[in-house]
Amino acid sequence: MSGTRRSPATGAFTVAGLVFLWAPLLLVALFSFHSTGSLTFPFEGFSTRWYDEVFSNEVIRTAAQNSLVVATSTALITVLLGTLAAYGLTRSSSRLRGPLALLFFLPITLPGLFIGIALLVAFSRVEWTLSLATVTIAHLVYVFPFFFLVARAALERLDPALEETAADLGAGRWTVFRRVTLPQVWPVLVGAACLAFALSFDEFVITFFVIGPDSTLPLYIWSGLRRTIDPSINAISTLLLAFTILLFVVTFALTTWSERRRRGRGLAEDPLVLTGPAEGAA
Amino acid sequence: MSASEPRVRLEGITHRFGSETVLEDVSLDIAPEELLTLLGPSGCGKTTLLRIVAGFERPSEGRVLIDGEDVTGLPPNRRPTNLVFQRPTLFPHLDVFSNVAFGLQVAGVSRAQQRERVAEALTLVRLEGYEKRRSHELSGGQMQRIALARALVNRPAVLLLDEPLSALDLKIRLEMEVELRRVHRETGATFVYVTHDQREAMALSDRLVVIDQGRVEQVGAPTEVYSRPASVFTAQFVGNANVLPVEVLEAGDGDALLRLGTQTRRIEYSDPAPGPAWLVLRPEAVRVSGAAANNGTGESLRGVVRDAAYRGTGFSYRIELSEFDAYVKAETRGAAGHEVDQPVSVDWDADACWLLPRDERETVPPAPTAAEDLDDQPNRREEETNA
Repeated sequence: MSGTRRSPATGAFTVAGLVFLWAPLLLVALFSFHSTGSLTFPFEGFSTRWYDEVFSNEVIRTAAQNSLVVATSTALITVLLGTLAAYGLTRSSSRLRGPLALLFFLPITLPGLFIGIALLVAFSRVEWTLSLATVTIAHLVYVFPFFFLVARAALERLDPALEETAADLGAGRWTVFRRVTLPQVWPVLVGAACLAFALSFDEFVITFFVIGPDSTLPLYIWSGLRRTIDPSINAISTLLLAFTILLFVVTFALTTWSERRRRGRGLAEDPLVLTGPAEGAA
Repeated sequence: MSASEPRVRLEGITHRFGSETVLEDVSLDIAPEELLTLLGPSGCGKTTLLRIVAGFERPSEGRVLIDGEDVTGLPPNRRPTNLVFQRPTLFPHLDVFSNVAFGLQVAGVSRAQQRERVAEALTLVRLEGYEKRRSHELSGGQMQRIALARALVNRPAVLLLDEPLSALDLKIRLEMEVELRRVHRETGATFVYVTHDQREAMALSDRLVVIDQGRVEQVGAPTEVYSRPASVFTAQFVGNANVLPVEVLEAGDGDALLRLGTQTRRIEYSDPAPGPAWLVLRPEAVRVSGAAANNGTGESLRGVVRDAAYRGTGFSYRIELSEFDAYVKAETRGAAGHEVDQPVSVDWDADACWLLPRDERETVPPAPTAAEDLDDQPNRREEETNA
């Protein structure tokens, strides 16, 4: 540290950057606790009235419920399909392994706008009524590549010799998956499912195209903002933010924990651990 | 099953990865209670052969029979074989008990029986009381012993071992060899052991199978393979022997006259074929003495010491022969040594020679394959993609 001379401008720049990133978020959170309906300074005192309002509002409750249903279904279906796809592709010896994997995760590059329009056209072509089901399908398209990438990375890192060992000890394919593969990767899969949930829960652009008469939380906020601006919107946004952050924390914690557990093997190279009592007995 | 029926019979096994033939027409009978070693340099196909017996690879041609039953088409989980891998592949999410009991649980053995048999297996590998440990609390040698217990607990008809000691330190490796011999004696099971280490192979085996480039070069007891190698490759790979081009001038009953370069020499040998031959000379049969000692007798070769290393029991030399375009390796006993660049004369025990047929045009033996510490299966995924 002593060797580097930092100019005060660097520090100021960093602070300015952080303020730019976080100040709007903090302001939203702050005014969600405002005791009056004003969204500007001066701040006149704390109150939880806007939260009470949010929780007692039937429309918001329905929108939140819709969001939960869509996000939960999306996450569950993604876990199932994504795990199957990732497992199949990492264990296959087919020449198409690479190209197929690319097809599975390339949609990650598609703009939400494009997915939204494309699905809207598709749904109207096959004459499906827009509903929460079409939203869920749309979210699956959007979320799947993220989950697939994480799941594939986790499965690819597993030592194939462990699965061979299990097969050698008499386990059939399903038993190998259930007793050896899954116990090693489930934390990552659950973490990625949380990520899928969060992505779906927050999604706005695609949802906007394919939702029909229902509403989700992000849509409600958007339409609310067009009508009136009152701090209850801030309260919902803050709740949404807190929830999303929580999900990401869970994802991160599970992934790190799983990684550390996987690395546990490396501990044997530590000389302190190496001095097992029975080594000399041989 | 009659006593003479083999535990494992390999019939004409040929295996290809893509266009590359890794095994060619390998046939082999393995007797019950035998410890058989597949020995060869890295990439010779020995691990592939083991994986074919285990069921991880399906041979392109040929059959695998275990106790007379054709298992060629069966997957690993339906074969009475268990494999101990090169690295100890303990399940990291399970403790030692659950690792060792894995095969029993899959087979539906009762909980009480599991406990009994796991304890038995752990006693066999001298890790009794380790049930609750996790793999990261074990040393490399302990992990490999747990892996051994995990395989043996299923009482396999054949135990397959794929260079199980190669990842261990030399000291632990030597201890584990003693353990393996004991475990083999105590269980009386059929062991098929793969290694590229000829010392390890000779120390462990009842029989050796020397494999080079996918072909069986020789099958026999270690002493037999060592003293009567069937090919130049085996002589060099197993015995680290010197191989010199000679000419058999006279073949008699019990002795023969050889020409080496400009010299002739009489050896003890029964009826060699006259004509060009390879003289196989093991390093410990070579005698090295000061240049003056035998000079002029015409009975010994002259050379210059190019490298000398002290082994404790004696010296290892690399000697450049003067009459020949060749080097000779020598292992002598005793503390008196010769300096590098010092002229010496080279002699050998007259009864220590072994002759192999030689094509007249060959004058330089093929370069010996170094028994390096390489992974025998560089990239299995790639091989599978090619297959």
